Amino acid sequence: MVKIENLVKEYSGRRVIDIKNLNVNDGEILAVAGANGSGKTTLLRITSGLMKADSGFVEAQGKILFMPQQSYAFRGSLKDNLLIGLNGKDKKGEVEEILESMELKHLSDKKAVSLSGGELQRLALCRLLIRPCSLLLLDEPTSSCDARGTELVVDAVKKYVEKHGCTVIMATHSPIVAAKCADRMIILNDGGIEADGEPGEVMNDPSSEWAKSFIKDWRT
Amino acid sequence: MDSFKQAFDLLFSFDRELLRIIGVTLRMSFFSTAVSCIIGLPLGTLLGTHSFRGKAFVKKLINTLMGLPPVVAGLIVYFLFTHYGPLGKLNMLFTVRVMVVAQCLLITPVVTALTSSFVEERARPVIDTAKGMGLSGRKTLFLTLSESRGMLSSVVLNAFGRSIAEVGAVSIVGGNIQWKTRVMTTAIMLETNKGNFSFALALGIILLIIAFAVNAAASFTVKEKSDG
Ligand SMILES: Nc1ncnc2c1ncn2[C@@H]1O[C@H](COP(=O)(O)OP(=O)(O)OP(=O)(O)O)[C@@H](O)[C@H]1O
Ligand SMILES: [Mg+2]
Repeated sequence: MVKIENLVKEYSGRRVIDIKNLNVNDGEILAVAGANGSGKTTLLRITSGLMKADSGFVEAQGKILFMPQQSYAFRGSLKDNLLIGLNGKDKKGEVEEILESMELKHLSDKKAVSLSGGELQRLALCRLLIRPCSLLLLDEPTSSCDARGTELVVDAVKKYVEKHGCTVIMATHSPIVAAKCADRMIILNDGGIEADGEPGEVMNDPSSEWAKSFIKDWRT
Repeated sequence: MDSFKQAFDLLFSFDRELLRIIGVTLRMSFFSTAVSCIIGLPLGTLLGTHSFRGKAFVKKLINTLMGLPPVVAGLIVYFLFTHYGPLGKLNMLFTVRVMVVAQCLLITPVVTALTSSFVEERARPVIDTAKGMGLSGRKTLFLTLSESRGMLSSVVLNAFGRSIAEVGAVSIVGGNIQWKTRVMTTAIMLETNKGNFSFALALGIILLIIAFAVNAAASFTVKEKSDG
């Protein structure tokens, strides 16, 4: 369970996070949507502990993993990148398995810096999902992915949650990800929670201009 | 071309004084580089990763020191270490050690500024990614250093290059004493003043060869980095 209360973060007097109360249940996948600059990244960074809030608190137990918005390729091959999280030991062939599941296996000996944007993003997710955790924070994990890549990411996250029973908070600009992956969705506006509910309902709210533009280009 | 020939003749004659000059030069540059990097690399990292009160002031101070003319740095150190100066008791004026002090005053700000701007831009994502993966502080530091090794070595070599090429400060505090504090650059000055142009040029060519070797090492490590 993640508990957030009276969380405030300001940059030179401007409030970019102002959340009275937000609880996320164990095993829940929460999508965080909102316009550019609405505070998604800031919220995730504070929750991960990488950044301090000005006031308020975030309570989360157990191991937290966080995928930054910009994926970074460490030196060496894809395999090397994955071994970092395993302390260099791959006893059960996990590296192969996870690369296979993300359709990156044919690239496993290539240098990670040479990957395309979407490939690198999937590698960054693999690097996290290779270990268990109790809270998974993903900052726009499909922003560089094509339709197939998005599908792979969604499946991987769902499988991981089934296996480890962890909680997920993911920022996203993709209605597909929100609809297919999340149990619940919130919309941030200027750092505050504007809507909170089941993704289908939140996205189809006829009174919300923002929701309309969010799903405008989405055809299934 | 004559000077080239003279340079090589000079170098391979293993002239004792020349070897001494090269030795003093390398010793001074090595210690200047080492000390300024030992101070500047951690300080730059701190400036690049943390915010604290007075940070803006520290940054301004460093930028000002970066623009310090070498002769002024030499003068400051001279007055500190002169017989009646606050550190005169140490009796260090006209030694290699005091030359190292003057060099550090010049080079440490450069090392600090280069490191902090690099860390701010490039090391941030490494640290975030490593911490996001739940890695320990030690492992994060190790990864950050390993990911930045190309940059680290070019900062170190930049420092070395500056220190080996500097003349103003070291001639003031070192005094260009034969066998003792005479380095390549001050020797070149002296030979030029004496009208011994081809000898000066020969020395210059040797200095260039050393600088080239250092640069080759730098581009080698940088290349190694971009290759992954
Ligand atoms: N270091 C900083 N200094 C000043 N302002 C900042 C800083 N970091 C973020 N901000 C501001 O805080 C606001 C929220 O930023 P944040 O990165 O959380 O937005 P976001 O919702 O993740 O946007 P995007 O969809 O573009 O990723 C923005 O208006 C941004 O300009
Ligand atoms: Mg963001």
